[in-house]
Amino acid sequence: MDAFETALTALLPRLRRFAHGLARDPAAADDLTQATAERALQARAQWQQGTSLDAWAYRIMRNIWIDTARSRQRRDKVLAPAEAGESVGVAGDAEGKAELHFLMRALDLLPDEQREAVALVMIEELSYREAAAVLDIPIGTLTSRLVRGRQALLALLED
Amino acid sequence: MDEQRIIAWLDGELDPIEAEEVARAVAADPALQARAEAHRRLKARLAAAFGPTARQPVTVMPRPEAEVISLAVARQARAAKARRAQAGRRWALPGAAAASLVVGLFGGTQLAQVAGIEDRRDALALAAPIAHALDVQLASEARPVRVALSFRDHDGEVCRSFAGRALSGVACRVPDGWQLRYAAPAAAQAGDYRQAGSDPATAQVIQAMIAGAPFDATQEQAARGTGWK
Repeated sequence: MDAFETALTALLPRLRRFAHGLARDPAAADDLTQATAERALQARAQWQQGTSLDAWAYRIMRNIWIDTARSRQRRDKVLAPAEAGESVGVAGDAEGKAELHFLMRALDLLPDEQREAVALVMIEELSYREAAAVLDIPIGTLTSRLVRGRQALLALLED
Repeated sequence: MDEQRIIAWLDGELDPIEAEEVARAVAADPALQARAEAHRRLKARLAAAFGPTARQPVTVMPRPEAEVISLAVARQARAAKARRAQAGRRWALPGAAAASLVVGLFGGTQLAQVAGIEDRRDALALAAPIAHALDVQLASEARPVRVALSFRDHDGEVCRSFAGRALSGVACRVPDGWQLRYAAPAAAQAGDYRQAGSDPATAQVIQAMIAGAPFDATQEQAARGTGWK
């Protein structure tokens, strides 16, 4: 593997976590991770050395996710029960997985713009400045989406 | 003191003077304190649930030279297959066959294990990416792991035949995943899209296991919708 592939590989676990923050279930998150890695490899010439590979890759993933938003909605109508995703996975920590599924479904209820802000800051722990750069929006816009997303989540989970 | 500032404080986004100000205001007001606590709990809860997804190893595997296919060839093969199958795919991911590298997502337990199959209940559990492919893919999809036939066996379980990079075989859905029932080293297939499970040995195994006929596209989709139960 060359330097780019090595760096991308090192980044994949975090990309996969971000994918779980965006996607509707773990299977979709793995598909999104796979698609992002493939697109990054194909588009590697567009990455400028010296700039953040992380931010570049997060942006690719976020764009693929947005691009598939329409088909996601269509699919939701065609293939109903959201519970289908419950059984996906290999043996492991069942309780932790149930919690993950539950939180993914809660995040799924947020508008996309709030969900991506929450995923970048709360799950990926990016600073406001970094998250705003990935999304290409002003910091003020990011913080207001973040606040609304968190309020909505609290209402869903605690109230 | 608005909620936005409290959140920025919890996120470590305030300078020390502002942070001190918010800390004092929150300490002095039980309502603000309760709200700050709720936000802190939410943050910890997300970190605890999503953190492990970044701790499982994920690797990029260079694909063997022979399997590198040009985009055009892959597209043709896919189109030809789609015409033959006539069962339309509802969705597809871009470029799976075209990438020069394949990303494999491995569950955390797999790499830590001692080599070799042990005499344990879960010894034949399939890990990602094959388990993942069996969970989500329909038979017609040309992907690094190919899935061919889905059927119900005499015990009523749903089983599927597959061919990965190094392993091909038949697995059945059990409550906590996919359990291997027959396996053989995958034959070197120079980038063709031969059906998984079309070799004589696998066909014989399926013949012995199957109750009734293999699923058609509609049955396969329905089975996926109910988690292959």
